[in-house]
Amino acid sequence: MAEERRFFSASGVPIALRRRQHSASCRELAVRGPRLQLRSLSAATSAVWLAAYGLFALSENSMVLSAAIFITLIGLIIYLHFVKIDQESLLVIGSLGIQVTSSYASGKESTTFIEMGQVKDVVINEAIHMQKVIYYLCMLLQDPEDPQGVSEVVPLFQSTKPRLDCLIEVYKSCQEILEQSKTAPQSS
Amino acid sequence: VLYLIWAYVPETWLFSLGLTYWPQKYWAVALPVYLLVAVGIGYILLFGINMMSTAPLNSTHTITDNFAKKQQQKEFQEEAIPALRDIPISEVNRMFFLPEK
Repeated sequence: MAEERRFFSASGVPIALRRRQHSASCRELAVRGPRLQLRSLSAATSAVWLAAYGLFALSENSMVLSAAIFITLIGLIIYLHFVKIDQESLLVIGSLGIQVTSSYASGKESTTFIEMGQVKDVVINEAIHMQKVIYYLCMLLQDPEDPQGVSEVVPLFQSTKPRLDCLIEVYKSCQEILEQSKTAPQSS
Repeated sequence: VLYLIWAYVPETWLFSLGLTYWPQKYWAVALPVYLLVAVGIGYILLFGINMMSTAPLNSTHTITDNFAKKQQQKEFQEEAIPALRDIPISEVNRMFFLPEK
């Protein structure tokens, strides 16, 4: 069962949240950002090529033009493979752990799995980030020997940066599963 | 006042008075310029220092700090206002975001 709702990110771009319930204790929440727009791609390409043409007009060196083409191509590939994140998803499995995956525009996916013994809680925290105060979802990790202290804070959804309404949905979904797993730790 | 005298009176007059060991007059203009540029850079520097000392999003300083970890609970008295304490972030979140309206 999957449902998709539209929200806005902290910077105003439209994003979509998709919730899928795989079973009673397993849920997947995926936030999808906007795809690479043709107009921003062509704007960037034209800007680089105009600057290169200006340099060529000044210096009469034709290597500038071919260098600009190479730079554009390689820059685009690097951007798609390392920078542009299409979708970030959170898979919460009640008794097992939490898996965070980010999929890039070139198809690359990077995954992190944290077992349930290390997860203390998933909370919405607010912090100062680049002259703004933003709400962000983060996982509090604990040391298995010290259940009272927070050993690490892992922020989630870093590049799509949903706003508070989307975060509340994700938070409620996660808390339903986490409550089940925390209150029944002995049941297999 | 001494600064103004030194800046404006020509060198020959000062020499005639017997005061020969003054810094070059170049500095009369250079020092104020240095001061103003330093003030301008100080604005930018302060801004940068503030940005650098803000805790990053993945640090535990956004959640708690040394005082909160070591706080001691006062005993709960009936019909009295509860003592001031730092509430853990999980409880705060549950109170804010979980209840249905």
